Amino acid sequence: MLYTVIYCVYGDVMKIIISNSSSIPIYEQIKNNIVSQIMNNELLEDEALPSIRNLAQDIKISIMTVKKAYDELEKEGYIISRQGKGTFVAPKNNELAKEQAQKEIEEYVFKIINLSKKFNIDQRDIFNLFDILRGEEND
Amino acid sequence: MLGLIKKDFLLIKGNLKLVSIIFIVLIFISFEESSNFIFIPAFISIILFFSTFSYDEYNKWDAYAITFPNGKENIVKSKYLSTLLLVLFTVLITMIIWIIISIINNNLDIEYILLTSFGCFASVIFLQSIMYPLIFKFGIEKSRIVIFVGIFILIAIIGLISRNIGSIPIEVVSLFNNYWMIIVPLIIIITFSVSYYLSKKIYMKKEF
Amino acid sequence: MINAVEIKNLSKSYNNGFKLGEISLNIPKGLIIGLIGENGAGKTTLIKSILNIIKIDTGNIKIFDKDYINYENIIKEDIGVVLDNMFFPELLTLSDIDKIMGDIFKNWDSKLYFDFLNKFNLPIKRTIKNLSKGMRKKLEIATALAHHPKLLILDEPTSGLDPITRSEVLDIFQNFVQDEEHTILFSTHITSDLEHIADYIIFIDQGKLVLNENKDTIVDNYGILKCDIDDFNKVSREDYLVYKKNKYSYDFLINNKSKIKKKYRDFVIDNISLEELMILMIKGDK
Repeated sequence: MLYTVIYCVYGDVMKIIISNSSSIPIYEQIKNNIVSQIMNNELLEDEALPSIRNLAQDIKISIMTVKKAYDELEKEGYIISRQGKGTFVAPKNNELAKEQAQKEIEEYVFKIINLSKKFNIDQRDIFNLFDILRGEEND
Repeated sequence: MLGLIKKDFLLIKGNLKLVSIIFIVLIFISFEESSNFIFIPAFISIILFFSTFSYDEYNKWDAYAITFPNGKENIVKSKYLSTLLLVLFTVLITMIIWIIISIINNNLDIEYILLTSFGCFASVIFLQSIMYPLIFKFGIEKSRIVIFVGIFILIAIIGLISRNIGSIPIEVVSLFNNYWMIIVPLIIIITFSVSYYLSKKIYMKKEF
Repeated sequence: MINAVEIKNLSKSYNNGFKLGEISLNIPKGLIIGLIGENGAGKTTLIKSILNIIKIDTGNIKIFDKDYINYENIIKEDIGVVLDNMFFPELLTLSDIDKIMGDIFKNWDSKLYFDFLNKFNLPIKRTIKNLSKGMRKKLEIATALAHHPKLLILDEPTSGLDPITRSEVLDIFQNFVQDEEHTILFSTHITSDLEHIADYIIFIDQGKLVLNENKDTIVDNYGILKCDIDDFNKVSREDYLVYKKNKYSYDFLINNKSKIKKKYRDFVIDNISLEELMILMIKGDK
């Protein structure tokens, strides 16, 4: 079973895709969806998110599940809830984003190291490759 | 509570056709014979009203009605009031038809008509008073048998009294003759009240 | 007020030997609470107790913070119910119901009632008797909602409905709890209805309260550990709640999925559906 819901927020489009067969808990899937949209600038600072109850009805899941996702997002600084007004995308925390990016880079580098070890590829070749690719990018 | 009374009348509304036909037949018969048929509409209307208990029971209405903001007590009260209204209405209509027919036939005896109508009303209400606690206790389906037995016993008692009317002390007879206007309503009011009280007690204890 | 309903030490015995309770539980406001259990487990008895259709032997119940008997009529103005096979006498028409209910509930909203009938494609002039089973359920739901209740108590509201109608009805229920003051108690033996939309699950078996838990906690923490017939002794007793022996394997019910996953790396650990949970808890051995 796969639910796809496109949720409109002030003319913009918030996408939430939830898979029931996934082993990732549903609240985490909601979180991931929203975080990635914030990171990709699909959701911008101060943009209103749907209310917990609205979102729950629209993606046909329980209120508590959405609440849990929102609570964690707020704790992690991605969103802010303002009493009586609703929930909004928090000012983008560059430190946080940077940290996130660094983590991702680490993962890739780890993979590179593993691969190069596996096939005995010299470190310098990799640095060269890195320079070449970067040079292309600068052109 | 108005809603509960409305419900019973809407339920028997479907049978109005039957009642109207009975009235029409009655009118024609009455041209020939006058007073003996006066009891029929009132009895039919109360039997008709008994059917509301059947419908209620069949769809477990009582349990549903208890979830409304009216209280269990009012469910009993509404049944008593609906019946009273229905019988009163039927007796009045019958009386009016009877009076009109009498005027056409040129044999109007208004005192006789009033007395008979009152007797009719009193006996049907008496029947109701006996029946309702039984219906609330055992349900309409089981009470049906009791209804027939009850009517049979009632007839037997009346027969017994009328056969032995000579052996009743003359004082009692004359007392009744002089004060029946008080005695009969008093009996009706007392049985009706006791009946309502019993039904309420039974119903409050009952579970659905 | 945090709880729509508070039940303390409720018990109720029947002459046939069935006993409900003792049960203590709260139904938090603003959420959908699922009541599950086998047929005959006591779901309807619990619901009838809350509605004072039956008299309880012991215990006390508060609804909207008020004693459910002393303030019965006030409370019942704000409750809408769908009961299993208990409704208006079926000779009545759909518009008769409107006339009657208008005099029963202060807040009866004829317009809302007829809007629901329209939405559900129910014929106004028809008698209840001439409705199909699904139409009848929809009528019962419309009737329960038309006086703007705060608490919906629904006993098997989706039984007999086709999948399309069922999802329509579930959507109406979710719409109902858009208002934070609104609460739904929803009993069903079709647990998949609750799998998505319920916030809490109350599970009753043989008159006893077996589980009263946040649904996410169940989904996130409960699971099934599967192992071979030979490996039964490798699973230590403190790690599972109950187990069930199948022909070629054992199923263990666990309630600490992430920890168990680390401890038993060689075993299969599956997510659990409410239905599987129900079956394991009823059929499983300790």
